[in-house]
Amino acid sequence: MIDAVITAMLRETMPDAEVRVYDMTGTMDHLEVFVRTKAFQGISPLDRHRMVEKALAPARADGRIHALQIRTATPEDTNG
Amino acid sequence: MADLHDEIKREIADNTILVYGKGTKDAPRCGFTAETIQFFNAFGYPFAVVDVLENMPKRQALSEQTDWQTLPKVFIAGQFYGDTDILEPMAKSGELAKLLEKSFEGKGVTPSIQLR
Repeated sequence: MIDAVITAMLRETMPDAEVRVYDMTGTMDHLEVFVRTKAFQGISPLDRHRMVEKALAPARADGRIHALQIRTATPEDTNG
Repeated sequence: MADLHDEIKREIADNTILVYGKGTKDAPRCGFTAETIQFFNAFGYPFAVVDVLENMPKRQALSEQTDWQTLPKVFIAGQFYGDTDILEPMAKSGELAKLLEKSFEGKGVTPSIQLR
């Protein structure tokens, strides 16, 4: 399942990542991903987004992910 | 290649709010581009949408310039802000309203929609 694939990919570079994947359209390729990790501490929103996209690049390249919305947080953030 | 970067530089300089996306303001051809248009419509400031759907060299130049692989790409007052993933939290915190006010200061532009 794509959520397991995404979680595994993210944890390669962010081992502590809490990951939630939401299917936006029922086709399992228009996804929203929420990622909470210590790795985001002190990192700008743009760079957090780049970190997630870089980790998921293989699933982007082969089309498993077509559209992706990303929400990020650190363990200290209350949102998400 | 250089003329592409000049074209991009000019578009960014000429538009306080600039959205590179798929399709036009009146006919967006991608959900995220449409969402970004609605997002900025809610602020009432003028903004431009440049359609790069079919222009792969320009999309490549933009991706390299911003280290950001997806569309839409939003620039405000010459600065890159990603897309609504980045802008929505800024809108919620009030940061974006302040940024837009400052960006349009002295340009004789007042938003058509008054922000509460």
